[in-house]
Amino acid sequence: MTKKAFERALTKSDITRMSIRTLLNQATFNFERMQSIGFTASFAPELKKIYGDDTEGLAKALSDNLEFINTHNVTLAFLIGVMLSLYEKHESLETIRNIKVSLFGPLAGVGDAVFWFTLTPIMAGICASFANDGNILGPILYFLVFFGCFLLRIPLGHIGYTMGTKAFDIVSKNIARVNKAASILACTILGGLIASYISINVATSIPVGDSVVSLQTDFFDHIIPNFLPFVFTFFIYSLVRKKVSATTLILCTLVASIVLAYFKVLAP
Amino acid sequence: MPKRQYTAKMQITLFQGLLVSVVTAIISIDSHLEGFFWFRPIIVAPVTGLILGDLHTGLIAGGYLELIFAGLNGVGGTIPPDSIMAAVMTVVLAKTTNLSVEAAVASGYGFGLLMQAISTLVLTGFLAFNKPADNYAAKADIKGITRLCWIGIIIGALQYGILTFLSVYAAQDAMRNFAEILEVNYAWVLDGFSIAGGLLPAIGFAMLLKVMLKVQYFPYLLAGFLFSTFIPYDNILPVALMGVAFAMMSFFNDGEAKGGAVYDEEGI
Repeated sequence: MTKKAFERALTKSDITRMSIRTLLNQATFNFERMQSIGFTASFAPELKKIYGDDTEGLAKALSDNLEFINTHNVTLAFLIGVMLSLYEKHESLETIRNIKVSLFGPLAGVGDAVFWFTLTPIMAGICASFANDGNILGPILYFLVFFGCFLLRIPLGHIGYTMGTKAFDIVSKNIARVNKAASILACTILGGLIASYISINVATSIPVGDSVVSLQTDFFDHIIPNFLPFVFTFFIYSLVRKKVSATTLILCTLVASIVLAYFKVLAP
Repeated sequence: MPKRQYTAKMQITLFQGLLVSVVTAIISIDSHLEGFFWFRPIIVAPVTGLILGDLHTGLIAGGYLELIFAGLNGVGGTIPPDSIMAAVMTVVLAKTTNLSVEAAVASGYGFGLLMQAISTLVLTGFLAFNKPADNYAAKADIKGITRLCWIGIIIGALQYGILTFLSVYAAQDAMRNFAEILEVNYAWVLDGFSIAGGLLPAIGFAMLLKVMLKVQYFPYLLAGFLFSTFIPYDNILPVALMGVAFAMMSFFNDGEAKGGAVYDEEGI
């Protein structure tokens, strides 16, 4: 299909509009799937344009994107740009998902490093010194710089879209290998996410003679750090495979957390 | 504008109280979406000062608080102490009590912690959005998904508008007592929600694993997990780069096995 003259469903202004709509990304942020709903809403109109009358295809694409995602709100536009270029060429949903899962973590890393860990402290230092002198330039400068950061979403969206379109031919010629490579990347990152996002801290300690043995530091951490997050994730995974619904899992997790907090078995 | 210094005692009028609450509600939308960074103390405090007729105090408070909050951020899906409430209440307390700006910062920070706890509860409630979103997606109902985003945004704005009005005008003392009672007597409930915040992403990951994990990819998941566990870092990028290395190995090895790769040397 790449051989034929390819008719684009999206225009430049669609990409610009999508980049601005990424503002919705965190609208329903929650602890299970984090940004998923706002993320999907950011580019749902563009998906609709691509799928046209194919309601079933659109429904599948939307459902796919409601899975867990947590990335940086500025670099996000780049990711969606890439994804839209692939949707536009009707790349398989599996491939697009693989690419999404392997990109959102690194993009969050880049975005957090640039905006949260570098720009925010630097701007705080500069603008606070103005403000401490009673100079209104402090807040104004801060406002302008971060407004610029917001506008950055637009070129990032376009760059992602262009890069995705260019990469498409290489991707489509090697589709099986690309899928495998992307799955490997995505699974590596998921492993890292399990270790960094999930935290379980056992507060219980057992008196042994004169000393006290803390289950967390003296036992679990000695097996392997992050032992419990790993076990817990795969416990949930096994329940998911047994078709236990997410709602049930969430409610049980909430109740268990509060009960375990009350009895001081777990600590935040 | 008369330049008054720190300890001027003033009574906040109903109009000022309402205006601060509405402005806070609007700024909170930006905080929710992380769009323009209006939610930083360097912006919030001078704006509050302006409404109360004392820009100077607002600037000084904003400068102090901005430096305190420079290192506190919501990276990785965590909820930091709330910068908006801290900034608003610091300025309000500096104007209405005998506290100096420096002393008001400490009390204002207490309100930031109170809002952090409330936000944890609200975002836990946001879990309820996931199910309707899935249903809308299955029907390819884009408007429905977007509507959920707006509901999330409005709930967040109401949360801030109402709490600010109570804290600033209607029930300042009661709010301060409430914050203390909550922290002292019901700490376990808040602990429970924090613990749940550390567990719930596992459900999102499990859903992703259900569609992505194949036995032959498990080693990569394990590698990502181990890397992230033993080399903890503030973002996922190093793990992702290792994943890229694995992915490239797979991509090129498969090419050799088939006798000659079909990829563009120039890359993207």
